[in-house]
Amino acid sequence: MKLTEEEIRKITFETVNELGRDATPSEIKEAVRKKIESMANYDLKLKQGEVTSGRVILTSFGLNKPGIVAAVTKALAESNCDIQDLSQRIMGDFFTMIMIIDISTSNKDLKEIQNEMAKVADELKIKIYLQHEDVFRYMHRI
Amino acid sequence: MQYEFEEILETIRMTEIEHFDIRTVTMGISLRDCYDRNIEVTKQKIYDKIIRFAKNHVKNAKEIESQFGISIANKRISLTPISIPFDSYHSEEFIEIAKILDKVAEEIGIDYIAGYSALVQKGMTNGEKELIKSIPYALSQTKRVCSSVNVASTKAGINMDAVIMMSEIIKLTAELTKDKDSIGCAKLVVFANAVEDNPFVAGAFHGVSEPEVVINVGISGPGVVLDAVREAGRVDFQTLSEVIKKTVFKITRAGELIGRKVAEKNGVPFGIVDISLAPTPAEGDSIADILKAMGLEDVGAPGTTAALAMLNDAVKKAGLMASSSVGGLSGAFIPVSEDMGMIRAVQAKNLSIEKLEAMTSVCSVGLDMIAIPGDTPNETIAGIIADEAAIGVINDKTTAVRIIPAFGKKEGDFVDYGGLLGKAPVMGVRTLSSEKFINRGGRIPAPVRSLTN
Repeated sequence: MKLTEEEIRKITFETVNELGRDATPSEIKEAVRKKIESMANYDLKLKQGEVTSGRVILTSFGLNKPGIVAAVTKALAESNCDIQDLSQRIMGDFFTMIMIIDISTSNKDLKEIQNEMAKVADELKIKIYLQHEDVFRYMHRI
Repeated sequence: MQYEFEEILETIRMTEIEHFDIRTVTMGISLRDCYDRNIEVTKQKIYDKIIRFAKNHVKNAKEIESQFGISIANKRISLTPISIPFDSYHSEEFIEIAKILDKVAEEIGIDYIAGYSALVQKGMTNGEKELIKSIPYALSQTKRVCSSVNVASTKAGINMDAVIMMSEIIKLTAELTKDKDSIGCAKLVVFANAVEDNPFVAGAFHGVSEPEVVINVGISGPGVVLDAVREAGRVDFQTLSEVIKKTVFKITRAGELIGRKVAEKNGVPFGIVDISLAPTPAEGDSIADILKAMGLEDVGAPGTTAALAMLNDAVKKAGLMASSSVGGLSGAFIPVSEDMGMIRAVQAKNLSIEKLEAMTSVCSVGLDMIAIPGDTPNETIAGIIADEAAIGVINDKTTAVRIIPAFGKKEGDFVDYGGLLGKAPVMGVRTLSSEKFINRGGRIPAPVRSLTN
């Protein structure tokens, strides 16, 4: 993050006011440095928030049998994931299901949800992939 | 739904079935500030700097892998050509540096670290001479260090003295690593027109015009292109070119996404995506198979060069559309040992060194991972390097030679490295002498093409 001289001066004045008259120059220097660092972190977080949505695409396929959608959605509900879209196709004995899920409401991160879903996939003997939405957006949308 | 059913399945098919992966995410690190008169201090500086930037390189890349469901085959590091910052050192000290690089690579958890290099297309400094002399020892005493030497460029011509020297270095490297099928030569590349931002090891280095640290990405999707070509069936060339372009467009986009995310995670700038089609020894992940799917009976059949030219061109066009950061080598690779289709073609005697040489004039990068008999004379190896360099210099493109004069082996034998380096049948080389030509020495002047100003 780049700050202009003007901004740095402003932060320094604020700090001097906060610390009062007895502050030594090194104390002021340290306090200013901390402030600027925390601002930089905040800035970075904002930036990342812009780039990355919390949406994930779940693809699952395998031999069709009762209870697949139920098992998958149950696991997602337990992780507090919001299913935003769902589409399914059956071809002969095989089924394919694709979901768009928002995991930003979940208390788990993608890795943990992937682990949860791996358990479900194992039990049902189907394949489940969870991938961040961006990869599809990049490949199929200009 | 926001995405079509087919689109999502296409992506899954590419990553899960067709071996689409990011071939390499390479972190380039400048070592120009690491020199000290005391070699021990230099070693510490190098160690500290690489650790500082790259200690989480592998971990971060793995996280991105699972987040996007696209595997990253290799995580690697490229460095400023070692001869540049450490020009005042002698061979023994360069070998010390190689050892510290090997150690740091092991600690970070990467398989190769590249940049044990020198750029001598016009002439050699004392340090460069010392570094080149140390290459066989450095490669035989380390496991992970890769070396490259640029001996020619369109602007400077071909430094034939360096070419002769490199032929001797290659032979000595083969001998010093004879216990492991001369594996040292698989880590040594001789370049013409080497590029500064190539992410592909063994030829990678972090050029002098590059920033302090950078992430470059090399994509790989021969399997994806192969399936697309097969699916297209009997269509004419324009249509086929379209099919290849559409596929490559998508994998390049994914490559750029992954590169940017890894760079972001490491907190370093993103450099380029190299849109090369790089094969692996896995079945179906082969350039040779693409050429066959295009209609050739086998690689080496008349028409092979044309087919490869078209493939390479389509790859480039699609990549250019897909990313504004295309760089590196960006073309199809045709290493023999790393491509099952190529290995079979050589074994069936359908593919000779001469045909491979012709193919390298229309694709990146050059005569790559080719095993030849161990008793091939130095001058013949120098001749092969000079031919390849001439193709690069005259056509203003990168070419390279990574040739393995397999110590103690003859035509028909095999060298087998396992893993990504694969295995290569020892190919026959013409026994006609190049001695008098090569030993003239000096430099082949730069071509007319160099005078562009």
